[in-house]
Amino acid sequence: MKKKTIEVVVNGKAHRTEVAARRMLSDYLRDDLFLTGTKRGCETGVCGACSVLMDGEVVKSCLSLAVQADGHEITTVEGLAFGNELHPVQEAFMKHGGLQCGYCTPGFMIMAVALLNEKPDPSEEEIRRGLNGNLCRCTGYVGIVESIMAAAEKMRGH
Amino acid sequence: MREFDYLEPASISEASEMLAAHADNCRMMAGGTALMLALRQRMVTPTHVISLQGIRELRGITYDDKLGLRIGALTKHSELAASALARKHVPMLADMASRLANPQVRNQGSIGGNLCYADPATDPPSCLMALGAEVVLRSAKGSRILKVEDFVLDYFVTALAAEELVSEIRVPPSSFNAGYHARFLRTAAEHRPLVNLAVATKKNGDICEEVHLVAGASTAKPTRLRKAEGYLKGKSITSRVSAEAADIGASEIEPISDLRGDGEFRRSMLRVVARRTIRKLFGLSEGTEKNVA
Repeated sequence: MKKKTIEVVVNGKAHRTEVAARRMLSDYLRDDLFLTGTKRGCETGVCGACSVLMDGEVVKSCLSLAVQADGHEITTVEGLAFGNELHPVQEAFMKHGGLQCGYCTPGFMIMAVALLNEKPDPSEEEIRRGLNGNLCRCTGYVGIVESIMAAAEKMRGH
Repeated sequence: MREFDYLEPASISEASEMLAAHADNCRMMAGGTALMLALRQRMVTPTHVISLQGIRELRGITYDDKLGLRIGALTKHSELAASALARKHVPMLADMASRLANPQVRNQGSIGGNLCYADPATDPPSCLMALGAEVVLRSAKGSRILKVEDFVLDYFVTALAAEELVSEIRVPPSSFNAGYHARFLRTAAEHRPLVNLAVATKKNGDICEEVHLVAGASTAKPTRLRKAEGYLKGKSITSRVSAEAADIGASEIEPISDLRGDGEFRRSMLRVVARRTIRKLFGLSEGTEKNVA
């Protein structure tokens, strides 16, 4: 069983694919489904650029095999917007300068969505602790934290 | 990563038979967070990876007055952190799980996988040992129960036999009424502790009636600080007593030295962490605790 057929729902769309057992989830998303929004950063589970949601929980897709996603639902950064309407987190990152080069941004936005689903009204400290598994090496975290605070406010209906 | 066959047993006995059949050529996978790194760096090159995810018997958290808290080996760190039973009966353990590594890893890694990997730079082993926890090992042949200190034997070495797997972790009822698992991280962005110290105590006002002190991450395997425990027992805890206990405890470990930190640095930081943690548990004030989270 060096190969396995997996059934995964990615961004609402069902996929049935035969993958090698050793295929990483991050490679499956990028190279098989061409969803290149999910980034390969450190590929050692440190930087969080590869973060995706699995059944609503944030995980690192470089620390997961594609076969582990069998029967699960994945959301990548491409799945955050509703058609042409950006997710409040995406809008806030643009408005508040939550990025510079942008490479870590998909991971931060996925993490932010997971964080706000769990805690709709987080303190700055809770956001900072929540971002513990994501690294940004150019802009720093001030803009990112401001973006998430603003998104939280918008999502609460203010 | 080399190619491998991916096996998905549905029961402990089926998994045990696969383990026996493939012996050194196979690896078990729980959450996979640690195994994935080792596979990618080809530190391990198994021909078969046995995923335990389909084994229902390895899941769930229950509580029983006699056996205490029973945690299924596949319990994810985030599940342990959120468990109402864990928070009620062993709050120190749930709190440790809520701070371990980072949010993504807490959603992927399991408590059983963590123990079986026996990486020293991690938090659960010392915390569980301070709480007197036991590990239940099962195979097609039967089962046995070991204390955590008899299970984690050395740097990446456990007592697990070839055909065995960990099915659950038990935290027996105890008389401890306070505790904290303290960690020292070299930088806020690092997720692997350089030093940790689990303190479980029975306090009566400012008197320390009973205490377990277990140092981890700084040593090849978790280490009980028995002299420091003996010194604290029965004493009224003051600033001077906590500082003396920290000095004694720091002298009891054989610290590891590696790229991440020199042995003597680890010993010094254990002293600091021990003093601060004991003070905190007994309500003595301290300044800001940078990197001690």
